[in-house]
Amino acid sequence: MLGQQVINGLTMGAIYAVISLGLTLVYGALRILHVAHAGIYVLGGYAGLVAYAHTGSLLLAFLLAMTVSGLAGVIVQRWIYLPLLPQPRIIPLIASIGLFIALEDLLRIAAGPYSLAFSVRVPVPSVALGAVALTSAQLLVVTVGVPLLALTWWVLTRTKVGLAWRALAEDLEMAQMSGVDVNRAVGLNFLVGSALAGAAGVLVGIFFNAVEPTMGDMPAYKGLAIIVLGGLGSYTGAVVASLLLGVVEAVAIGTIGLLPRDALAFIALILILLVRPQGLFGKR
Amino acid sequence: MGRRTLLALLLILALTGVHDVLAQRGPIPIGLSAPLTGPAAPDGLSVRQAVEVGVKQINAAGGVLDRQIQLVVYDDQAAPPQGVAVAQRLIERDRVVAAVGGSYSGATRGAAPIFQQNRVPFVVAYAVHPDITKAGPYVFRVGFLGPVEGAGAAEAARLYFNAQRVAMMTMDNDFGRALAQGFRERGAKIGLNIVGEVIYPLGEKDMAPHVTRVRGMNPDLVFVSGYFNEAALIVRAIRQLGVRAQILGEEGFDSPKFLELAGPAAEGVAIVTNLNRDDPRAVVQAFLRDYRAAYKMEADMVGASAYDALRIIVDGLRRAGTTDPAKLRDAIAATRNFNGVTGVLSFTASRETIKPIQVQMVKGGQFRYFGVITDPEIITPP
Repeated sequence: MLGQQVINGLTMGAIYAVISLGLTLVYGALRILHVAHAGIYVLGGYAGLVAYAHTGSLLLAFLLAMTVSGLAGVIVQRWIYLPLLPQPRIIPLIASIGLFIALEDLLRIAAGPYSLAFSVRVPVPSVALGAVALTSAQLLVVTVGVPLLALTWWVLTRTKVGLAWRALAEDLEMAQMSGVDVNRAVGLNFLVGSALAGAAGVLVGIFFNAVEPTMGDMPAYKGLAIIVLGGLGSYTGAVVASLLLGVVEAVAIGTIGLLPRDALAFIALILILLVRPQGLFGKR
Repeated sequence: MGRRTLLALLLILALTGVHDVLAQRGPIPIGLSAPLTGPAAPDGLSVRQAVEVGVKQINAAGGVLDRQIQLVVYDDQAAPPQGVAVAQRLIERDRVVAAVGGSYSGATRGAAPIFQQNRVPFVVAYAVHPDITKAGPYVFRVGFLGPVEGAGAAEAARLYFNAQRVAMMTMDNDFGRALAQGFRERGAKIGLNIVGEVIYPLGEKDMAPHVTRVRGMNPDLVFVSGYFNEAALIVRAIRQLGVRAQILGEEGFDSPKFLELAGPAAEGVAIVTNLNRDDPRAVVQAFLRDYRAAYKMEADMVGASAYDALRIIVDGLRRAGTTDPAKLRDAIAATRNFNGVTGVLSFTASRETIKPIQVQMVKGGQFRYFGVITDPEIITPP
């Protein structure tokens, strides 16, 4: 049973990772706690559903979701965050929360308040290894989520853009002085981070066979807890914290039972911060 | 007093008199509280549409007491504070003669005492919490009490599925707990072997960790409580994780949304519920047909229950011969063998329903007749 719970936890953790890696990218660029990231994720879920309903292609569903979410991210960055940057930190944060609520409500008005089924015949069969089963939905998360994470990782560590992003995350002014085209780098950053959110929206939609306007509530708060837990701005931290949290949740439910699941992230956050104020992988 | 003043006074009297007569001849306002937005919105939509079908049918047949019915609908979002606000608005502003409670236990528990204090009859469609009818003699319930339905499920597990090892998956709210209580009590009485219970929070999405625990119990039947969202996720997780046990659900499953969200995993799932879609009685088939014709979709349990609640109020008006609230209340309380869509039902002295518990099974993507529980020991509310 423990093995199964670890698998359950790792798949959920992989979903958290796709969401929080995108969030970390965006945080690194402007140092804004981008709550609306969760709204962009919901938007991706709906875009993917529309594409899938019209074409029946899973690939197109992911592509459209990532495009729509990526562009939405750039729009938010360019026309909302940029003008608000000179204001005190709290102003863009509040704008972000408002934007998140507005996005969810717009989708509710446009598509109705109900869950819409995202029924996909997952092209991979479920695998049983003794007592441990890897369901086809879980396999889909692995086959889409892991390459996405790996690709982002590659961009971050092996390309010039990635170097620029990491420089931004370290010190925006220093990066600018070293010749980084900050505007372009920040724009690309939001594009990629938001595209990841869009892909996560589709993944979750398929995983739970439902897309609904309120589906962003979970990533809205859990995503923030995860990136702080991992060490704000740390990409490795975000991924490791996501996987850890997924496994801890599943194993705890499996052994203890009824738990305030969504509080676990925050309990973990408090415990870790007491010992390591900079988070798991953060730098002082 | 001058002649002119006298004339004016007479005129005013005449006009107000006319107004009074008009008020008595005008439509009879009946209220409906339903969750039109929020997570319970699909149920709210079903309820509103079903009650509108009822109002149309009744008005087309000449109304009641020679007057038409006017439905006043508000959204309570399935939230207790909204339930209270809606009740107050229906009573004070719209002056309804009675109201249908078309919402969940939370909102309905808030509303019931308001109707009781104002002495306006309140007929609750499907909310299960025992406290609702305890608000007082003006509050009635068409659906089953949670423990009664839970007992029906335990009986079905033994009678229809001969279950040897039973696991329970209980939703952690009033509804889930009340069902579980009835299931356990009846199960103990009939010697059902309950091997374990997993309790999960309302609104949970990731069911895999919970279902993995159930799998560890190696059951041949799982009794699951949940609303259609949770129900669909659980049924999918049970099948995906390779649990072969019979799934037995309850009225929360009884929605087209469950069939849509669960997809092929719903096949073979049995539920205990209020509605038998294969019931040959004319009232059932006419309702299902009219509903389908009006909305191009299938009716469900919450809709059928709310439709019955409306017709019980109208039946009460007809027998009382007046809209006087006290007389209307007495007439509703005297309801016996009412020919409802959710069964031929009567009210007990504590204004709870006695009617058979239906067992349905999903076959070919539809809920179909599977069995019925009529044992008075089970279906009579305490």
